Formats: sequence, structure tokens, C-alpha cells
Amino acid sequence: MSAPSAHDVCVIGGGVTGAGIARDLSLRGLSVLLLEKGDWGGGTTGSSSWMIHGGPRYLEFDWETTRLSTQDAGHIVTIARNMVYRLVFLVPALPHDKNNIERVETFMEVYDRFQPLKKALPHVRLTAEEARRVEPGLSADVIGAVTVEEWGVDPHRLVFANVQDAMAHGARALNHTRVVDLLRDGGKVIGVRYRGSDGATSEARAKVVVNAAGPWVPEISRMAGADVQLRPAKGIHIVYPHRISNFSIIAESVDGRDVLMVSHAGFTLLGTTDDDFYGDLDSVDVLEDEVDYLLQAFERVFPAIRAYRPVRTTTGVRPTLFKWRRYEDELSRRYEVIDHSPEGAEGFVTIAGGKLSMYRLMAEQTSDLVCRKLGHQAPCVTATRPLPGNESELEPAAELARRSGISALAAMKLQSRQGSNAAAVVKDARSGRMVCRCEPITEAELVHAARHEQVRTLVDAFRRVGLAAGPCAGAACVLRAASIVGDELGWSASQRFDAAREFIRGAWLGRAPVLGHSGWAEEELAQGAFRGLRNGAN
Amino acid sequence: MARTDSLIKLAWAYGLHLTRRRLTRPRPQLAILLETYAPDGIRPLLPEERERHPQLVGCINCGICALAAGRVGKVRLPDLAASYMRLYARLGEAVSDVEGESPDLVAAAAACPVGVPLDEVAAIVRRLAAG
Repeated sequence: MSAPSAHDVCVIGGGVTGAGIARDLSLRGLSVLLLEKGDWGGGTTGSSSWMIHGGPRYLEFDWETTRLSTQDAGHIVTIARNMVYRLVFLVPALPHDKNNIERVETFMEVYDRFQPLKKALPHVRLTAEEARRVEPGLSADVIGAVTVEEWGVDPHRLVFANVQDAMAHGARALNHTRVVDLLRDGGKVIGVRYRGSDGATSEARAKVVVNAAGPWVPEISRMAGADVQLRPAKGIHIVYPHRISNFSIIAESVDGRDVLMVSHAGFTLLGTTDDDFYGDLDSVDVLEDEVDYLLQAFERVFPAIRAYRPVRTTTGVRPTLFKWRRYEDELSRRYEVIDHSPEGAEGFVTIAGGKLSMYRLMAEQTSDLVCRKLGHQAPCVTATRPLPGNESELEPAAELARRSGISALAAMKLQSRQGSNAAAVVKDARSGRMVCRCEPITEAELVHAARHEQVRTLVDAFRRVGLAAGPCAGAACVLRAASIVGDELGWSASQRFDAAREFIRGAWLGRAPVLGHSGWAEEELAQGAFRGLRNGAN
Repeated sequence: MARTDSLIKLAWAYGLHLTRRRLTRPRPQLAILLETYAPDGIRPLLPEERERHPQLVGCINCGICALAAGRVGKVRLPDLAASYMRLYARLGEAVSDVEGESPDLVAAAAACPVGVPLDEVAAIVRRLAAG
């Protein structure tokens, strides 16, 4: 084992909160080590609904959460312009809904007071006929609708932009690196022992260790002899590889919960469920019952939903704060920053609970505590300082397309991931060659991701650039992608093949619960292409 | 306490809302909605497009249609259905890609194993790209 590295702070967990803390502390001039056992944003963050939202439903429980959430959403929208886009939700009212249209509009009138904080526009009320002109697929039973605006975001890019900025300010950030133990001096936490992607174990000393492991917070806390209790809640989404509607839709489920159909850039998410979870956090399966629960809810307001072909599902576990005698849906999305010194674990801090829309604020408050403990005085600047790719205005996509020899659509998608750095990504000779045509992604961008964005597997490439996120689910691009990434990372021929096979098999786990008629056609195509290359041996 | 406080404030807002609804005449707001979000490309589908939409987005990107026909404007035919049709809110920014000649889309559609009506796909992509 090599000599331990030394840092001011070690942050455990590379979801959006951990990455945000690493960025915040690096910008304040501290030396930071950020460790993530999988890939950046590969846990709860990536399996979210991909929204920066204030959450009108929190108005029932706590207006302060709505205010903080919308305010911080406003900061995120400002610093991450290239990654965010407007989502317009229709909230259709049916005759026997839990909340009649007057109640729904009351919620939105109140929510309108918070909307300017996140640069969103006020609601609109539609008659039944107007609602069906906006979305002709709405049920004939709909008696009216109210709209509400939120922001969509690519959480994977949001996390990585935070990691990228942290590294630009001196942080060391390692993905595929698991913390196996905490180093302690008596009760005091003085560092971490971790295992890297090569299997080697190393140690790092840190004056403060921050536990930002999301649902894994209790596991890490136990290593410090501290007790943090969460009430983990499982949520699934069904993913369609295209927009079903330009408008997002909110529907009521059989148990009266609100579920969302969210129209993102080139795909649709249907979700989410909210169930207490007691299983293995590293192996969370989607059940067909959960899929049916969501489809049943949407079929009521959007009868054609079952005619669309889902491409996969996602699942994750929310790190909700513990509360006894509450239904899952009634649990607060509040968060808590915990200093474990009173329990004897000096030098150990936990951030638990919260939600994506408040990640920056959670990071700021955690960083404030860390700075107080270290006696370090430096203000937080993350509310106004742009994330990488947002330092300057974007050039028109058509102009970038013309200069780099790619389609305007490819240029536009590239800008949504790389912002104003897009031109630098496609400046080499391979810029015009496409590797994933559905998304679309150029070879140059994939090379850039492998060289500069810590892509180590094809699943990492899915998160970083959207590889295989489209309707072919990788059938047309995954082998070529394995070859390109393999060239960069020095993979052998069999390693390339294994990487592609691992990707296809992993994707199958998320697809199995939603395959229908044409879904099987697409699956046969993907699996068949693969078997063909192996002469039937698989 | 926060919950009680929230519910009281909501109840007050509900009372105000009902009073306002009784005293004022609602104005149509559809035009405002459509105008507000047109710059973001958030526009409705036509009823006939909605009817056919599940077929229009059914492409599995097998590439067979490329053997039967070439490009719509600068766009390879499989990309039109597998890529452009996915993202129809922002097609306005990619309008230059789909301008130009069209091949025999009916022949290409006949080759499609999952029955995507490529002629209709081209028509809707062009309509939405044109804004």
C-alpha cells in the first residue's frame, strides 16, 4: 500500500450532493478528495425524475421547503443554463379526483408566488376543450386542466459538471472507488481506506470526512460508530425513447398519489412510485406490478399510453429522513446536516435527506459546517458562479454544425451536454463521424468523454453522453462504442467484447419488466446482432 | 406545526380563490399558453398526428429503410425516425437538416419491419421544424 495522501476534506459519495460539496469546498480553497463507488450520479441522482422543481405538493406540508427549493432551483437554472429546459405540465381534472379543479388551481395560485424564484412562469387554467387542443390524447372525461411549469435537467451532466469544476480547482475525484473503512484515532475520524477500480487498496488522511452517500449514509456512518437512521424509499420510472407529448402530464394513481409523465429532451419518463425499501441497495429490481401501477394511473387521463413502446425502466432509492407513522408519500424531502462530534466521532459529518432541486443549498450548508470545523473562512460562491460550459453564450447550433461538419441536431444535442465547450469537443478530425445515431453522438465526443470525463465503462458513456439512450437501445452502436472507448483505454479485443456484452446484459435487466410486442422485436435485434458476431455462442 | 400552518394558509387561499371565481369572469387562456411556450418549441400535436403518434415513434433503428431509400434533405432515413422524431420540441433549431429532396418514402415504409409510416414521419418532422 502506498503512503496515504493528505487532504483537508474527503467527501464520500459522488451523487449530486457529494459532487456539489466537493465543488463548493474546492472553490473555497480547500483540498478535497471525492470518492464514488460506482460512476458519478449512478445512484439516486441518476434515477430521479430529471427535474429541478419546487414541488407544489410540499405546500401541503411545509411552505418553507417549497421556498428553499424554488430559490435554489433558481440558482441552478442560472449556473447550468445549457443543461436545463422548460417543462410544462398539464394537470387534468377528472370528475372524481381527490382534488377538484378549484383546489388544484388554488395550489397553483399559491405556487405562482414562488415561481419567479426559479425563473418560471405562472399557471394557466384551461377548459376541457382547450386542454384537448393542447394535448389531443387526453381522455374525453377530462373536465378541465391547470398548467404548472418546472425545469428539466440531465442529472448525470449536472453531477459531472460539479465534479469537473471541483477538479479544475484542485480536487482529486475518483469514480469506481469504494470506501471500505474509515481511519480512526480513538473515536476521531482521520481519513478513509478505499479500493480503486484496479482492486488496489489505498488510504487518504483528511481533517474532515463528509458522508454524502445518499441511501448508503447509514452504512458509512456505522464505520464511524455513528447512527444515522433513514427511511429509504424505492422509486421506479418507465422510460420511453421519445417524447410522447410536448406537454408533461400529472395523473392521479389508484391510491391518490400524483404521478408524472415528464417530457424530456428526447425521451419521456413515467413515474414515480414511492415505497419503503428494506432490500439490498446495490440490487434494486423493478417489478411488473410497479409498471402496471404507473400505466393504470396514466391510462385514465391519457388512454393511448399502452400503445407506446417503453425502452427500459430505472429504479433508485431515496435517502428520506426517518419518521415513524407516516405514509411514504407524506415524508418530508427535508435534509439534515449532522456533526457527529457529540457522539464522539470528531471529524465526521453527514448530509442526509433532501432532493435534487436543493443539492446546491445542501452542499453550501454542509460546506459551511466543514469550514467552521476547520476554522477556514471563505464565502460560498456556487449560487452565482457558472458551471463549466456556461461561462459564455452558446453559438447557434446551425453555425456549430456548419463549422464541424455535423448535423444541426447533433450540434444542438452536443451543446446541451457540453455548453460553450462544444466546439472544442468536435474540433478533431473525427468530429463528423457518428457513433450513436439515435442520440446523436459523434465519435469525437465519445473520445473526449473517455479522455477527459472519466468514462471507464460503456454504462459510464451512457451517463456522460447518452450512448444507447435511443430507440435501438444500443443494438446499432454498442460494439462500435466499445471499440472507440477501448482504443482510448487500451482494452484488448476480448475486453471490448466483454464491455459490450456487459452493457447489453445490464440494459436487459431494466428492459425486461416493460417489453411488449415491438419491444421484443427491438430486443431480438439487439441480442441477435450480438449472437451473430459470436456465431451463436453467447 | 408546519403542516397545520400550511393547511391553514391553503384553506385561506382556497376561500379567496372561490370568491374570486364567483366575482370575476374567467377569460380564455389557451392563446396565452401557446404563445408563451412557442419559443421553447412546446407546441401541440394535431389531432390526426396524435392518433398516429404511437406508430410514428415506433422506429427500432434497424436501418432497413436506408436500403430502400436515401435521405430526406441531409438526413439519413433511419435517423429521421430514430432521432429527429424523438426530439420534436426542438426541431426548429435543426430545420436546415430536413430541407431539400425526399426519396420514395412509401417504398421505404413498406420495408419497415415494425410498420413506421415514414412518409408521415417526414411530414410531421418538417411541419414541426418549420415552427
